[in-house]
Amino acid sequence: MNLTRYAARRLAVGVLQVAGVACLVFLMVESLPGDAAVVLAGDQPDPARIAAIRAALGLDRPLAERLTTWASALARGDFGTSLVSGRPVTGIVLDALAPTAVLAGLTALILVPLSVALGVAAARREGGRFDRALTTVSAALYAVPEFALAIVLVAVFGVTLAWLPPTGLGGLSAAALVLPVSVLLVRPLCSTGRLVRSAMIDVLASPYVRHARRLGLGWFAHALPNALAPAVQHLARTVDWLLGGVIVVEAVFVIPGLGSTLADAVGHRDLPVLQGLALLFAVTTVVVNLLADVVSFRWAPRA
Amino acid sequence: MGATRVRYLLLAVPLIVAVAGPLIPYELVRSASFADVGLLGTDFAGRDVWHQVLVGGRTLVLTALLATAGAYLLGTLWGLAAASAPRMLDEALMRPLDVLMAVPSLLLLLVVAALAPEGVLVWTVMLVHLPDIARLVRACALEAGSRPAVEAMRLQGEGWWRINVGFVARSMARVLATDAGSRLTGSLYLIAAASFLGVGVAPDADDWAVMVDRNRGGLFLNPWAVLAPSLMIVMLAVGLNLTVDRVLKRARHAPR
Repeated sequence: MNLTRYAARRLAVGVLQVAGVACLVFLMVESLPGDAAVVLAGDQPDPARIAAIRAALGLDRPLAERLTTWASALARGDFGTSLVSGRPVTGIVLDALAPTAVLAGLTALILVPLSVALGVAAARREGGRFDRALTTVSAALYAVPEFALAIVLVAVFGVTLAWLPPTGLGGLSAAALVLPVSVLLVRPLCSTGRLVRSAMIDVLASPYVRHARRLGLGWFAHALPNALAPAVQHLARTVDWLLGGVIVVEAVFVIPGLGSTLADAVGHRDLPVLQGLALLFAVTTVVVNLLADVVSFRWAPRA
Repeated sequence: MGATRVRYLLLAVPLIVAVAGPLIPYELVRSASFADVGLLGTDFAGRDVWHQVLVGGRTLVLTALLATAGAYLLGTLWGLAAASAPRMLDEALMRPLDVLMAVPSLLLLLVVAALAPEGVLVWTVMLVHLPDIARLVRACALEAGSRPAVEAMRLQGEGWWRINVGFVARSMARVLATDAGSRLTGSLYLIAAASFLGVGVAPDADDWAVMVDRNRGGLFLNPWAVLAPSLMIVMLAVGLNLTVDRVLKRARHAPR
């Protein structure tokens, strides 16, 4: 199969996935126990307000009609308006996008070269001191929840030593970014580093690399793409963690990004915002996975 | 060996606190918020932090265990059903899981927990693990199901349950066991993160993750109210993962 056909097939699957997620999000909101309007109206709902919310949400119309209205508005790029602030969802999301993009982008920018370097360095001498240290530390830190790690780091570097600002409240300066990005890095770095290491060990032991080394050829440039193909796939999966991590890290460091917006929307049951964000996150996940599949197919065509 | 002792110590301390903590009779200290009384001071509501640490681990550990076990039960049956079903049913069972996999796990947790009543955390974590487990089981079952032994059982007229659960599921127990360890740490991670974000738990629940969130405001006044539960969670995660990692390595080297 050539690259274009593979990419086209993956794209079709991706579009179906996004459509599926959109329906799923809609149905999840639909399956809210009782009536969404009653929940949204607050503790002591007054009938007029419930009726108003119901009309605003279009809850008085049949399910199929609501789904098509919602989907056609989505197709026009209209995500609806927030139930809490009355602002358009698109505006809310765009405002929150910048801090999250900085956090996630910076993390990814450091993550990729660092995890490859660590993995390759460990693989060069399997079972050596550096390899053992990396394997143990990465196994240890791999499953630590971000918030617990973040709090410990804040207590040490932000409060006791007072080297770094404990929150991002004073704006995202370079110093304020150090702790959040470090916390975000830990989990993906551990897993990707380990993966690169084991893939590199396998490739280094393969006949063609050993042969190239015996001949004194530049084997490294041949070994690396083959070792990185699984790592690229895995990096795509870490986007899932990165999004999860961003939600937690933004909450800990009080950064007004997508994660905080999501947490607020969940707290206020602001359904249109929730729907918009869920869709955005799902599309991001699907697109990144798609790109990763295509890249690793390009580097090491197999299927 | 020093490393082994550290590993088990890291795992044992939080586990013992979580399991046995609620059983220890304790003189409750009540005073102002973030006051410096007792062993570790008080929390945001003036409750004794040491007492909260003792009782706060049980839900976390139990929920993680329950969610992982439930996910395996459901995922195994799902995967087995898909593997032994005709092609159309197989597709119908597995395609919806692809959609589920496109949703970031913490997002799924947040949305479901926001829309549904309390106590839904276990179910959502199960839902997060379901696609991966079902896929793994299906792949293993397809391999095991094409063995001559299964063919023979089918010819003898054995039932679905006896062939699939009695033979196929048992033959892949080893693969599943190695997978289960890392899933348990995953559950622990998800549940702790969700509880920290205040999803699916009462705002004043006796829970390490909730303690960390609620007492954050007093980080300067009584750091132990935040640090003690954080350290418990970190130790539990590190200890559990090191142990799982060790077991996995042993299993890989053991003769089959």
